Amino acid sequence: MKKMDLKPMLKPASVAIIGASRDPDKVGHVILQNYINGGYPGRIYAVNKSATEILGVKSYPSVLDIKDDLDLAVICVPAAFVPDVLDECGRAKVKTTVVVSGGFAEIGAQELQDKLVAIANKYNMPTLGPNCLGVMDPRSRVDTLFLPTYKLSRPSVGGVSFVCQSGAVGSTVLDLISGEGFGLSKFISYGNAAHVDEVDILNYLMDDPETKVIIMYIEGIKRGKDFIDVAKKITKIKPVIVLKAGRTSAGQAAAHSHTAALAGDYESHEAVFRQFGFTIADDLSDLLNYAKTLESEPMPKGSKVAIITNGGGTGVLTADAIGLSGLLQLANLSEKSRADLKKVMPPLVNLRVPLDIVGDADEKRYGDALDILSKDDGIDMFIVIMLFQTPGADSRAAAKLISFKERMDKPMIVLSIGSDYTRMHRIMMESAGLPVYDSPSAAVRSLTELFKYSNYRSRLPSRN
Amino acid sequence: MVLLDYFEGKKLLDKYGIKSIESSYVSSSKEALSFAGKDHIVLKLISDKALHKSKAGLVKLDLNGEDITVAFKDLELKGKDLKPYKIIAQKMSKGGVEVIVGGRTDPQFGKLILLGLGGIYVEVFRDFALRVCPINRNDAQDMIDQLRSKNVVTFQGKDNEMIIGLLLSVSKLLTDNEKVTELDLNPLIIKEGSYVAVDIRMITG
Repeated sequence: MKKMDLKPMLKPASVAIIGASRDPDKVGHVILQNYINGGYPGRIYAVNKSATEILGVKSYPSVLDIKDDLDLAVICVPAAFVPDVLDECGRAKVKTTVVVSGGFAEIGAQELQDKLVAIANKYNMPTLGPNCLGVMDPRSRVDTLFLPTYKLSRPSVGGVSFVCQSGAVGSTVLDLISGEGFGLSKFISYGNAAHVDEVDILNYLMDDPETKVIIMYIEGIKRGKDFIDVAKKITKIKPVIVLKAGRTSAGQAAAHSHTAALAGDYESHEAVFRQFGFTIADDLSDLLNYAKTLESEPMPKGSKVAIITNGGGTGVLTADAIGLSGLLQLANLSEKSRADLKKVMPPLVNLRVPLDIVGDADEKRYGDALDILSKDDGIDMFIVIMLFQTPGADSRAAAKLISFKERMDKPMIVLSIGSDYTRMHRIMMESAGLPVYDSPSAAVRSLTELFKYSNYRSRLPSRN
Repeated sequence: MVLLDYFEGKKLLDKYGIKSIESSYVSSSKEALSFAGKDHIVLKLISDKALHKSKAGLVKLDLNGEDITVAFKDLELKGKDLKPYKIIAQKMSKGGVEVIVGGRTDPQFGKLILLGLGGIYVEVFRDFALRVCPINRNDAQDMIDQLRSKNVVTFQGKDNEMIIGLLLSVSKLLTDNEKVTELDLNPLIIKEGSYVAVDIRMITG
């Protein structure tokens, strides 16, 4: 099977907006406006039957009139006109297209969609959509979203790529990502998946050096065998976190066997994800929680977790979550760690995990504890609980964690629960690549998924 | 979609070294008695019109002596509305842990293999693991580890290795035989370091 080259779609040197409009309420206006506001550095053209200029950009009646090599055409004309416009793109040798327009298979107009696919195939022109938000890449500043920037904040530059079938889920999660400390590599909303589908997208992202982690929202996979082929390869290179819709579809009422009754559509997708090392998310929040740890943390060497906390109860809740995970265990401190801790910790500190360095712990005490424990070979991962409501937990203490993060070769995540003051420090730590969680279960589940992925990655290929 | 004859299914299992319980069609209570000898047996009525045999009272367990004749007559009576049917006699396997090993064809991903806690509560507990065929040894181990009932299913240490071997054989059977679209070995009984499939349901199409 031939790989589709999506690079011109995500790193275009030139873009035409077909259906660009002077009317600020039209999708074609917002998209062009966003390109201009976003500081897109490439060459940009508008296509509109009647206008000569829109928002200061020269406008042409047809894409065929543009005397330039076009890497990408964003199409936002009514569905009925899309086939003609797409054919013109083909004739104009446009490399890739994004069809934002809806009104195809999603409303039953399968024939119109088939026409679109036939044209895309005829010109061998990767076509995303229809009925999609399109693509965003904060590095190349391509942004085909028709959602105004004042309504949907754009994420910063980072290593997480987000592949999403649904536009609604896509835009909300994108908005949430912009509030996280980690950044975006690519956003690809592929709508009806008529031509470019998840297999093509994963094939592209697998080789994309800017993408460290992929998060996906999928409704259904259309090319099962090809999907398995790419799934086998991609998780050996980078983590893929997937959320699949349709978990509760009944539909198995007429099954002829117990097996068929148990193993429906969701279950078979889940089986494929598990088998080939995908990380399975149960909710939108999981996508974000897992992404930040899988993006920034090294692979753990084992399952032993140390907890350092300035709050006793929160430490116990986190230890409980570790017990419930079924995979992770609390670390036992070495004799040396205990002896070293005894020298520097106040007498009321119990020398065991969770290591409660008590409510007045400050920058120095966190530093001492981490200094000693980071040398303990019996510890594979760290959860540092820093509750900012206490007197000693401040920006200096947060900075101390960041400084350890920079030299630590073991996974380390932070649990901080609270509102404004905490949130400020969360962003500070996350921007420095230190994942911060706001509940024991979110923190432990994320670490568990990291552990599972590392097990998958490290195991030897099986013979039979 | 056709339910494969029980003994054709059994023959296919034999070919892949998958053990199933000693069975025979019986057409009279006398035949059933002679099949039983001194052992306890099970009588089952098999018909395309009855999917869930145990729910419909079409499975008579742990029969011996006079019970066999009574049970056979009752099945004949129930069979009147389920023609054509056959009655099968099997040696009774007591105790052990009931699991389900199955297969299905997914329109997207092809053959899938299933391992779960089996028996009549399989759809209540829904404790199962599923993979795409062909599976390898790692996949088989993952399937076992995924079960909440792992410690029940692999009660004895050596059972783990045995189940891995069984899963690899079933995966091979499903992969080699395109026409087998659905398979239920339910229950398959694990006992004393061995296993035996007690019911076979193979659908071709």
